[in-house]
Amino acid sequence: MGVITEEARRWAEQDYPDYAFAVNERDIQKYAHAIGETDRMHFDREAAIEAGYDEIVAPPFFPYVIRMHASHLVGRDQLEPDGSASADVPPLNTTRAMAGEITIDLGEPVLAGDVVTVTKRIADLFEKEGRSGTLVFVKMEFTFTNQRGDLVAREEFTRIYR
Amino acid sequence: MMPTAGTEIPTITRTPDAIDLFMFSGAAWLIHRIHYDLPFTTEHDGHPGLLIHGPLQGTYMVQSVQRWLGRTARLRSITYRHLAPAYLGDSLECGGTVAEADGDRMTCELWIHKTDGTVATTGTAVFEVTP
Repeated sequence: MGVITEEARRWAEQDYPDYAFAVNERDIQKYAHAIGETDRMHFDREAAIEAGYDEIVAPPFFPYVIRMHASHLVGRDQLEPDGSASADVPPLNTTRAMAGEITIDLGEPVLAGDVVTVTKRIADLFEKEGRSGTLVFVKMEFTFTNQRGDLVAREEFTRIYR
Repeated sequence: MMPTAGTEIPTITRTPDAIDLFMFSGAAWLIHRIHYDLPFTTEHDGHPGLLIHGPLQGTYMVQSVQRWLGRTARLRSITYRHLAPAYLGDSLECGGTVAEADGDRMTCELWIHKTDGTVATTGTAVFEVTP
């Protein structure tokens, strides 16, 4: 007996608006400190130029920061009791969420001054029987493009609900 | 220089503390409570401690290669999955092996082991390696 309802299937077909993120030096520096990066090309323009970039360059997982803002930079009333973005959570009787598999393909690097637009859709919604009951998988697909129209990254991310 | 297939990647060990978890949640604007609210995480979600973010672990795996090869290795793609949760206080040993080296592309099998030997995360990453 499946737990995914018709309502949840309709939810999975929703259109998310595109989100444009203007990347500044401070965003890159904050994130680089948070992951313990020490390479100066993430902090200092001269070091970035020496490394072959025109501006401070973001670490490779920076598109993740962009898509988290797209989901979570919303009003307080659009967050679930566990802090998840309500728009990302399927309308089911699940109460707990965890990260599943991630695949990222990278294109052009992200530089300070870029405007990166992320498009997002739900690629799959399915369920499996786990040891602790039914697990619901929401597979999201993200495409990141910069202001020149170059592909910056594609990401598939599965979040698991139980 | 391109490493040959079979080469072991020198391991790095990361032990993120509460400040690291806070900084990652803050920089990414990740609001999920299981990374900072201990009573919620234990009582509501049934975990023994605060969780180390999945994408932070993914980053550590990539850093094990970057600390080894520096700017000559540029990440092109990665797939990873979590096999067991990693909690605040866990030491994460990050290592791996070069699985394939073809032209300027190097494919690595990467892993994170916790102190007790449990595998937390595994992944496969492709790097562009410049001479």
